[in-house]
Amino acid sequence: MFDPALLLAGFASIFSVKIFPFLLIGSILGIVVGAIPGLTATMAIALLIPFTFAMEPIAGIVMLLAIYASGIYAGGIASILIRTPGTPAAAATLLDGYPMAQKGEAGRAIGIATISSGIGGLFSALALTLFAPLLATVALRFSAPEYFALAVFGLSVTMGLSGKSLLRGFAAVLLGLSIGMIGVDPIGGFPRLNFGFAEVSGGFNFVAVMIGLFSLSEAFRQIEQMSILPPKPPAVRDVLPKIAEILGMWRIYLRSCVYGLVVGITPGVGAETSSFLSYAETKRRDKDPSRFGKGAPEGVAAAQSAENGSTGGDLLPMLTLGVPGDAATAVLMGALTIHNLQPGPMLFQERPDLTHQIFAGMISANVMFVVLGLLGARLFARIVQIDRRILAPLVCLLSLVGAYAIDNNPFDVWVTFVFGVIGWLMQRGGFPVSPVVLAIILGPMMESNLRRALIMGLGSPAIFLQRPIALFLLAVAAISLFAVLRRSRRERREAAA
Amino acid sequence: MRITRRQFSASVAAASVAASAGGAFAAGFPERDITLVVPWAAGGGTDALGRTLAKNAKQYIGANVAVVNRPGGTGVQGMQSVAQAKPDGYTVGLVTFHLSSYRLTGLSQLSYREFEPIMLLNRSPTGFLVRADSPYKSMKDLVDYAKANPGVVTIATSGAGAVPHLSAALLAKQLGLKFTFVPFDGGAPARTAVLGGHVTMLVVNSEEALQFYKAKQLRFLALNSAERHPTFPDVPTIAEAGFPLATLLLDWRGLAVPKGTPPDVIKTLTEGFRKMSEDADYKRLMDEMALPRANAEGEKFTAFLEDIEKALEPALAEVGLLKKI
Repeated sequence: MFDPALLLAGFASIFSVKIFPFLLIGSILGIVVGAIPGLTATMAIALLIPFTFAMEPIAGIVMLLAIYASGIYAGGIASILIRTPGTPAAAATLLDGYPMAQKGEAGRAIGIATISSGIGGLFSALALTLFAPLLATVALRFSAPEYFALAVFGLSVTMGLSGKSLLRGFAAVLLGLSIGMIGVDPIGGFPRLNFGFAEVSGGFNFVAVMIGLFSLSEAFRQIEQMSILPPKPPAVRDVLPKIAEILGMWRIYLRSCVYGLVVGITPGVGAETSSFLSYAETKRRDKDPSRFGKGAPEGVAAAQSAENGSTGGDLLPMLTLGVPGDAATAVLMGALTIHNLQPGPMLFQERPDLTHQIFAGMISANVMFVVLGLLGARLFARIVQIDRRILAPLVCLLSLVGAYAIDNNPFDVWVTFVFGVIGWLMQRGGFPVSPVVLAIILGPMMESNLRRALIMGLGSPAIFLQRPIALFLLAVAAISLFAVLRRSRRERREAAA
Repeated sequence: MRITRRQFSASVAAASVAASAGGAFAAGFPERDITLVVPWAAGGGTDALGRTLAKNAKQYIGANVAVVNRPGGTGVQGMQSVAQAKPDGYTVGLVTFHLSSYRLTGLSQLSYREFEPIMLLNRSPTGFLVRADSPYKSMKDLVDYAKANPGVVTIATSGAGAVPHLSAALLAKQLGLKFTFVPFDGGAPARTAVLGGHVTMLVVNSEEALQFYKAKQLRFLALNSAERHPTFPDVPTIAEAGFPLATLLLDWRGLAVPKGTPPDVIKTLTEGFRKMSEDADYKRLMDEMALPRANAEGEKFTAFLEDIEKALEPALAEVGLLKKI
């Protein structure tokens, strides 16, 4: 269904005077919104849908696509600078991005993040353009058993984020799984574990939990150590990463792009999952995993490229099957519907011109934010230079305002505050925080699909053995868990020796 | 990850437009913008409907209608916020089928009794579908097979307790069949599971199947409705397919305001929204989304809501979800 002539026509229309300004506006807006904690790409798209009413459909859609791509990218900027993920997806970026900034490499971290996001985004946009119908048939082969296996695989990889103590990592996973169970039983529809609070009848707001765990907890830690830490981290150096450095990470990029695409195509999970998976796997495969978490550029590269690598994958089932890949593409789907363009197989048959314009728009959007991001990197990096005694209270304020901004719900402010305290206590006790976050995402996916798969198999667990993709993923999960266990045992022995 | 943050910008945009246009409609109401609360996330079908309805509000009701999404708690949070809003007509709720079921499933005390109904916007019949290459060519084929093999036919639904699930359960009860229900988080993932051949039959609101019906990837066996659907004229009703059902459940969407809103305000709102629902853009969207429009205002809407609640109770009891509070 890919047609080079239509794609060229698509590019021609994107770069026309009527549409290009909207691509630029969308990219700038996306970067701004993405970098502000609590404001996600999803919200920005939702906010701007009414403004697209008066626009030509494709101009509006290109603007929203640009916000999507650049918003996902820009979440990493706040992660690097103030350890506050601008969007949920960027939580994996902060693990190494923030330590880099604290070492005076904020500019380099942003440079690598920008290029990596661009590589991942371009790869997935091209995959979408060239193979959309083919990948849609692949997506159809996935159902409940495969989603369950994918979630199990994700959790097994998460264990690799445990840090020194595997047991503590496991405890963090269990905490996340328990939090993920609060709300409504995903299969039966019964309310559960809400302890009579109507506010949590739909579960805790994930973004509020995440802002608390990562950003508020770090602000607490800074306040605690204010008297002993120097007020400013070292000055910013090297904004542009060296080409050789980028090329040297090709293996990481290849892996991240594949992770991004596969996770993206899977409905319900998006950039926030792929970035963690790719980060954990890159860490596991590194010769010296202990470098990670202390400012390894590879960590930033893996997280950012997988994040944007999932954008094309998330768009794919939305455009071809009418199933949004994540929250942001769900809103994009609404925008298409309002412009009288129903996503689904008929969109490709009836409006090939439009689908190719969307492809061209997505490719251009990924180039656009790289240009803007690199131009702005030095400017952004200055934020690190703000005195800690001013920055820490500002981060507190941003976190709480961000929590309120998600749904205008004062309850979410409390959620953020409580999880801020939990995150701070966890870090003091040497418990890793990321497995909690990933378990909150993957837990409900694992539970609902396990139960759905068992119903599909008429109650027999044999369904997992009869389906090759599910079986393969479960086997990989077992191997990966085993590898983590073995490494941990070896490290303990070495430490003892 | 959840959405809703457009309140601010929408109202800013609306306010600036409102400031430039004068007050031609000077009857006291509306003096400022009206808020339409959509209790579901931006991007869904209900959201698209609400936004298109509100798009040209200014020319019909003399004020802008700003759409605000308040998702959460399977719609309870948004609808509850409308029920508790000041009954001055400036907060209108886009209420949906779930309002009929909260009290019966024990999720919340909220019901239509806490609202003044404005109008019913649409009713969606449930569609029974299979993949295009399925061996079941008619509803009879499937029923015969299900009779011979109890529990083997798997049915993908948009969620437990939603109209399609209940419709299929009522069918099963009436015919003495046993289906295995696989609930999904909405119509789209359910549809994907049937398209991928993982589940035998798809039971969803008929409009969810539109694209795949046109692309000939899914085949309707029947429509759970009293009359044929204008978008799917060749699809037999469930009675025509040979299985007349005692109770027909329909998904619905409508508009309501908090209890105690003054009658003259309700009258203005009803007239305004009636004109908005006759707008060409809105009608085109409804047709393209295969949503047959309904028109029942005020008391007629209330009567519809009373009937559906009565019909729901035995249906929920049948699937084990009845838990009255």
